[in-house]
Amino acid sequence: MTAFVIKRLAFAIVTLFGVLTIVFFIVRVLPGDPALVILGDQANQASIEALRARLGLDQPLFVQYLDFLGGVVVGDWGVSMVSGRPVIQEIMNVLPDTIELTVVSLILGVVVGVPLGVWSAIKRNKVPDYIVRIASLLGLSLPAFVSAILLLMAFAIQLRWFPVISSGQGDTIGARLRDLALPAINLGLIMAAYITRVARSAMLEVLNQDYVRTARAKGLSFAVIVWRHCLRNALIPVVTVVGLYLGILIGNSVLTEIVFNRPGLGKLIIGALNQRDYTMLQGMMVIYTLIVVLVNLATDLVYGLIDPRIKYQ
Amino acid sequence: MKHAALSLSLAALLASAALSGAQADGTTLSVGMASADAGTLDPHRATTTPDKGLLHWMFNGLVRIKPGQASPEFIEPDIAESWTSSEDGLTWTFTMREDVACHGDYGNLDAEDVVFSLNRAMDADSSSFAKDYGAFSSVEATGPYEVTITLSEPVPSLLGLLVPYHGGNIVCQDAVEALGDTFQSEPIGTGPFMFAEYQPQQYVKLVANPEYFRGEPAIKEIFYRYIPSDSSRDLAFQSGEIDMIYGKQEQTWVERIAEVPGTKVAVMKPGEMSVIHLNMSMPPLDDVNVRRAIAHAIDRDTMVQFKGDQVTIAAISPVPEGYLGFTDDVPQYEYSIEKAKELLAEAGHPDGITIKAIHTTLPGMLTTMEAVQALLRAANINLEIETVEHATFHSQIRDDASQVVHYSAARFPVADVYLTQFFLSDSIVGTPTAVTNFSHCDVADDEILGARVEQDPDKQNALWAEAQRKIMDEVCAIPIYQNLQLWAWKDNLDLGVEVDGSLNLSPPVTEEAHFTE
Repeated sequence: MTAFVIKRLAFAIVTLFGVLTIVFFIVRVLPGDPALVILGDQANQASIEALRARLGLDQPLFVQYLDFLGGVVVGDWGVSMVSGRPVIQEIMNVLPDTIELTVVSLILGVVVGVPLGVWSAIKRNKVPDYIVRIASLLGLSLPAFVSAILLLMAFAIQLRWFPVISSGQGDTIGARLRDLALPAINLGLIMAAYITRVARSAMLEVLNQDYVRTARAKGLSFAVIVWRHCLRNALIPVVTVVGLYLGILIGNSVLTEIVFNRPGLGKLIIGALNQRDYTMLQGMMVIYTLIVVLVNLATDLVYGLIDPRIKYQ
Repeated sequence: MKHAALSLSLAALLASAALSGAQADGTTLSVGMASADAGTLDPHRATTTPDKGLLHWMFNGLVRIKPGQASPEFIEPDIAESWTSSEDGLTWTFTMREDVACHGDYGNLDAEDVVFSLNRAMDADSSSFAKDYGAFSSVEATGPYEVTITLSEPVPSLLGLLVPYHGGNIVCQDAVEALGDTFQSEPIGTGPFMFAEYQPQQYVKLVANPEYFRGEPAIKEIFYRYIPSDSSRDLAFQSGEIDMIYGKQEQTWVERIAEVPGTKVAVMKPGEMSVIHLNMSMPPLDDVNVRRAIAHAIDRDTMVQFKGDQVTIAAISPVPEGYLGFTDDVPQYEYSIEKAKELLAEAGHPDGITIKAIHTTLPGMLTTMEAVQALLRAANINLEIETVEHATFHSQIRDDASQVVHYSAARFPVADVYLTQFFLSDSIVGTPTAVTNFSHCDVADDEILGARVEQDPDKQNALWAEAQRKIMDEVCAIPIYQNLQLWAWKDNLDLGVEVDGSLNLSPPVTEEAHFTE
């Protein structure tokens, strides 16, 4: 097990290195010049060249690349080309907000999605099944920014239960939860829609297994069969999906953060892209890659908890 | 029943919490700005509307444009009480107020600070605006509160370079030196409001400067909130969480926001002028008849109707209306499809032409270009639009990659600035001195350069007018309309001045601004 984790982490470093290399070159191949963005559109060519030199952008690409890798290894991610603040500090300022939102949405998605999926499978082709399937389809097809505006119109403007600006800066737990509620519901419901569908189909497959029939034949109650025997076997695909969709969740959190005006990686990456803030983009890619790698590792480890037959080598 | 009672009490709890969040004491101003975060807050570096809008409330210049106005004709004393200039216009002496205090503990502002500040603005290493000060040969303290500026050649609007807009923002030497790199995120000025706090991606908080030389402001706190989503900003204004809002720059926004009860909408100058630049170095646009044909085929009235007549004004000259030196006495090309077709036939294109434009995906600009495309089609002019992302657009048009360039910009409102950046041959894109001359226009260099050093205002105006006539006669570019700046605020917020314009693109929130109830 420990060996497995170490091996996976070593592999993660290779992945990280590959991603960093690709990101480094992609942001530089993109047309658009950070010096021009920083100086504004009244700058003349001479001052743009001067700033490019100051930012080190006039160096050969390979030299820039070695500088960058050297910096990453010793933990120096540079300063934002636009704001001049250290990249690591800018990311760490808002990373907890994104993690908070994503984790709460994930929990919400599991708590709502798994029972609905199971229920839908048990009631296959009956009214509850149809309702759940239509609802989950709606959740899948409604873009995050549309559902976000609808939630705001209903709960912030009409009912006035929640603020439009979810600053996430509340001093008390109550205030913090109030700021978190709408964004988490928005993301959580999308997550629930995905999980419901996977839980339903996994459950349907398990319900047709021989051991289920055996269990019923020997007189076990239906509830025990479903919740103790079937669910555990149906959980593997659900965990896979949760791990995979965590990436989608972080993607959707970009839009959610912007519409609800929450601080987070989303607002950071949009700004960095628009302004061609190379150093910031590189730093953010390191973080995103780390998150994906760690989530994948966690997913693998959870498999073992659910199914003791799985061995790590 | 139990559920209903529970949800009711929950609702009451949440509602009371929501209300307590809003500031009800009448001295806190919340502003919603369209940006994901603060950029740099160094006034000699910041160039974007969100950053300039905030710095507007924190800094002074030697002189300023009267709050609520945008034109240099309203220049009045700010830090300087009075000034004199030599007859040749090369030596300017400013006498300063002695009661100007830097924010925080940085003490009294004297002539040394002003010298330091202007030198900083002139230095390309510390300023984005260094090139504006090319004619400054020295800035000296000639007394504890007296500053003398010596020029190597006259400039068209020296006072314009000293208003708190670009490099004219006066910083305090001790603060800049003590704060170092921190200065760009915690700037120190002398204005009515001072920096208090920055919450990443959330807001910058300003507080009233109790030592402000015009008196302590009535507003005690300003939260300048970064809300990039247009819809969320509107909803936050509607729910009362913000008092002042930077608008989506369209007439439909004005109509929509005006329906929120208790709202005052402001349509402010200077406008951003939308101009279609025609690259005269690329066929078929190298033929003046082709360029005139295009001018005849664009109907400005239709364009103004399309963008909304409350927020746009038609443009006829290459210098925006309202700028010092503007004239409307220029060759005009009335809307006529027949004339356009005739001119094209004369130029040897009886079956029409195809021209190409690289264009940004920014919706406000793209709809304009698409409307122009539709108008041109009637005259057999096929305008192909290749859309690219905004930063890519800026970089490609500067590489001289586009035959037609649609550009929208506001500048310091003196004819020289617009003419120099867009129509002087030095500014042609692709050259080391390039700025934004996309058309390769070089027909009015003598007039533009001559006006710059002309001391007699009448003669200067005549030269600027001649430059505008020549540019329109050759049709280097086709001005379409000016898009004014849109803001709205609660009508119980009294800014204390009539707001007609604002050079810094945010409404003037000065010591006089206050809530009326």
